[in-house]
Amino acid sequence: MAAWIAGADASLDDAVAAAAALLAAARSAVVAGLSADVAGVQAAYRLAETLGASVDTVGSDALYADLGALAAGGAVTTTPRETIARADAVLAVGARAAASDLWAEAAATRPSLGMAAGAERRMLALPAEPGDRLSLEGRLGELRGALAGRLRPDAAVANLANELREVRFGVALYDPGELGELGIGMLHGLAADLCATTRFFALSLADAPEARLSAQVSAWQTGMPPRLGFGRGRPEHDAWRLDAARQVTSGEADAALWLACAPSTLPPWASDLPVVAVLGQASGAEAEVVIEAAVPGIDSDGVLYDTGTGQLAFRAGAGGTAPPAAAVIGAIIEGVARHRGLPC
Amino acid sequence: MSALTLRLREEPPERLDLSGLCAALRRDGPLSIEKLPVGTSRMGLVLADCFAVSGGDASDLRIEGGSPRLDGVGAGFSEGTVTVEGPVGQRLGAGMSGGTLRVRGSAGPFSGVGATGGLIEIHGDAGERAGGAPYGAPVGLNGATLVVRGRAGTRLGDRMRRGLIVTDTAEDHAGTRMIGGTIVAGTVGAAPGYAMRRGTLLVGGHGPLISGFVPTGTHRLVFARLLHGILRRLAPDLAGLAEGDLERRAGDLATLGKGELLTPRR
Repeated sequence: MAAWIAGADASLDDAVAAAAALLAAARSAVVAGLSADVAGVQAAYRLAETLGASVDTVGSDALYADLGALAAGGAVTTTPRETIARADAVLAVGARAAASDLWAEAAATRPSLGMAAGAERRMLALPAEPGDRLSLEGRLGELRGALAGRLRPDAAVANLANELREVRFGVALYDPGELGELGIGMLHGLAADLCATTRFFALSLADAPEARLSAQVSAWQTGMPPRLGFGRGRPEHDAWRLDAARQVTSGEADAALWLACAPSTLPPWASDLPVVAVLGQASGAEAEVVIEAAVPGIDSDGVLYDTGTGQLAFRAGAGGTAPPAAAVIGAIIEGVARHRGLPC
Repeated sequence: MSALTLRLREEPPERLDLSGLCAALRRDGPLSIEKLPVGTSRMGLVLADCFAVSGGDASDLRIEGGSPRLDGVGAGFSEGTVTVEGPVGQRLGAGMSGGTLRVRGSAGPFSGVGATGGLIEIHGDAGERAGGAPYGAPVGLNGATLVVRGRAGTRLGDRMRRGLIVTDTAEDHAGTRMIGGTIVAGTVGAAPGYAMRRGTLLVGGHGPLISGFVPTGTHRLVFARLLHGILRRLAPDLAGLAEGDLERRAGDLATLGKGELLTPRR
């Protein structure tokens, strides 16, 4: 169990009291990171509600690329497990998808279930230069137009279109941060077009499972995705206004709590305002107040996001000395309530 | 009766949400607006905490001293005139159905989202997705006219459904996912009209095009003559774009492909 105030060792009680004082004095605090188990994220939402703060999560740019496309045009999607079990063709859209663990696993195995069971899996790629989103979007549009018979693309894309017409259970892998909202919308449209004659899905390689967990917790806690705020006493969603990085950069936020049970570094904006950091691994120098918390699934039991199934799953921990993040944040909530004269 | 004037006392300490102002004026008149909640933090700011209110003619609303933290200015506006002397924040004129909204400064993102009528004129620059749809909104501009005298940000008119957008310069991805309507721009950046289904882009110059636009010949369009008359009134410098023969490309053929990109014949 370890805690620090201004880089100096402190007791847990003193660090919690300092954190509560720092956050209670803020006009517009942000509760960000949200890398924790379900109980930790739920506690973060309770803290934000007590503070009248806003909530954002690590990986929210990629999350919003997916959610934006979903909200605009829907999605035809599957899970990694189904992909390995049933897909007779896997298409990597972009460089990151072609370098992913799921792509490598698919290349090393054959489908074991469904119509394509036992067949050799076709590994296809729509390549683009890393970081060249415009080019990737354009190639994806060419492919969709070619599949619909509306465009005559170059030989590489035409051959790819011919391959996709033959698939029985196809999956296109993409990294949402690399492809972006517009490209993701185009890919879901392509999948929907192909589903008129076969089965085809687009699968997001969620690079930040914490964001997916936060989105689910946020949905059942508030009915909205993260990047929401409690400033007016009720949850309000605004993906632009409540972006934590934007709020800090513009000077609108005046304090933050950063929750990261998984190993990570604080975001660049964290040096611009007073921060309370609840971390799974800490040195004490990361922020004004630092409190070490258990890593769920390793130090403590916890419900985490399973990237294989796309669902929340229980993970047992071996037991450690650090308190769970939910307990740390719960104590901070009580401290904030005392500062503001609220009922605990 | 003199114009209803809101004079900003100082730079707001937090973002202010003015999206309820026009509805409050319609519902309760100008006497009640001083107590209108506008704060977005736990401090519970009301209009009078940030603005000095004078005058009483709600059909001529003036906001003196703008700020990029003023969100939702002119939202739901339906008749009369709103003039802002300075910059504004996001969602300028959201859901507006009539009247004239002028900003003598720059605007944040999502200007004109869901606006079905009236004129929005921004004398400075406009942020990303002017006339476009923010996350979760079904459409962008939906029948109103939006004029940006400065530079428009990325994704101008994204998911726009109806209406007219006029600007001198727009960045990349102008007219993405357009459902309908018309965008006129002196120049636009790369990939205009990506995933566009219907609608018209008339541009003097553009960055790299996506391959989903294919040439369909050179035309002298009756529609362009009508548009020329409107442009002479709204933006005389750009009226020349709608004169003479126009090279037409149909697109985006990756999607429905019933949109068009028009450029003056070289």
